[in-house]
Amino acid sequence: MALVGNLRDFNLADFLYLVDRGYKTGRLTLRRSDDAATLYFEKGKLVYATQYSREERLGEMLVRIGRITEEQRDHALRLQQGPYAGKPLGAILVELGYISEEELKRHVRTQIEESVYRLFTWTDGEFRFDAGVLVAPEDVMITLPLGVENIIMEGVRRIDEWSRIRDRIPNTDVVVKFVDQPSDRAKGVNLTPDEWRVFARINGKDSIRTIAERTGLGEFEVCRIIYGFISAGLVEVVKERPPLPPGVSAPVPAERPKRSLINRIIERIRGM
Amino acid sequence: MKTVKMVITGAVNSGKTQFIRTISEIEVVSTERRTTDDTRMIKEETTVAMDFGRITIANDLVLHLFGTPGQRRFDFMWEILSEGMLGLLILVDSTRPETFRETLRIIDFFTSYRESPYVVVANKQDLENAWSPEELRLALRLPDEVKVLPCVATNRESVKNVLLELLYLVLQTAEEG
Repeated sequence: MALVGNLRDFNLADFLYLVDRGYKTGRLTLRRSDDAATLYFEKGKLVYATQYSREERLGEMLVRIGRITEEQRDHALRLQQGPYAGKPLGAILVELGYISEEELKRHVRTQIEESVYRLFTWTDGEFRFDAGVLVAPEDVMITLPLGVENIIMEGVRRIDEWSRIRDRIPNTDVVVKFVDQPSDRAKGVNLTPDEWRVFARINGKDSIRTIAERTGLGEFEVCRIIYGFISAGLVEVVKERPPLPPGVSAPVPAERPKRSLINRIIERIRGM
Repeated sequence: MKTVKMVITGAVNSGKTQFIRTISEIEVVSTERRTTDDTRMIKEETTVAMDFGRITIANDLVLHLFGTPGQRRFDFMWEILSEGMLGLLILVDSTRPETFRETLRIIDFFTSYRESPYVVVANKQDLENAWSPEELRLALRLPDEVKVLPCVATNRESVKNVLLELLYLVLQTAEEG
């Protein structure tokens, strides 16, 4: 069974939240007409990501940034075709002493994160999540478990359209509060100074408009920041009672039914 | 004869009519023929698509089941329907994430006016690519205390289980006597 849909209806931030809180393991494939991307998760953490249009092999990336030479890359690739067959290129480069494991991890991490951040700008595209599908070891140089909260926060920093933010924040009269039980992992979220300024103003009483006025940040910027907090599961919108439709009076509180009556209904339905 | 009421709501095509049809002892009364063309339904401003079913509990007690659309333009019906309502079932088509946003709106609308017990019903669990109840809880960001129940509205046992779960919830808030 797979989870399928469109990013238009259920965006990447929503999906990462689901993967994180559901401790999901599997492969998320995103497709649109001109591009595709694949993300792998293990127990709620992102372990690998690749975007078709920007796919760059590890060796090429390390040469491009000047971390290894072309000769070193070619040497490692030759070994991968021969005695080191089946071994990831990154591991071979480390073994040959061309790069330290720590540095390799840092570069791979950046490469994965950048791939995912760009996906936040996709407003449309089919998604498919196949639970239990693991990344093939020979396809990747290294897998790194990355918590998704920071990825959500950074990805949301790249969003520049109101329409997506309005999904969760319909207007600036909205009030937000901290969630009662944020995930432990939310404690590791890294915030920018502006995000901290907004974060410190959240009190469950002031509207977003007020927060924008007090921080001196623009309303769009404050909404975008709060959208990130909501997406990462740090804060939630205080539910306001919506206005009654025209001509409708306030409802009368419902009468509580008697237990004996409910028990009779239960017995009847059990016997059907 | 005393009558009590349960209300079944949800986005278009969430399975409300089927749910009632599966358990009702009478042929379900619908105020309009269902269509799979969502646009057409929305355009028919004067028509309210309601379903009605019934379960006789005893000679002196009847349970009425009302299925009502979740579209915004039918919000005015809630006031009428929710009077004397024992509880509410909010159906979700588990295979269509494009309806999740509308489902959330329905939940927000209902829960903001009534304190009636309610459960969210993850319908169509027999279909390929159905989101599980737990996945729906996360997708809709529902708190742990809200029950999200698996359901196949074409299956009588499944519908019975959902009704019973809601009734157990009602029982917790019921008065002695």
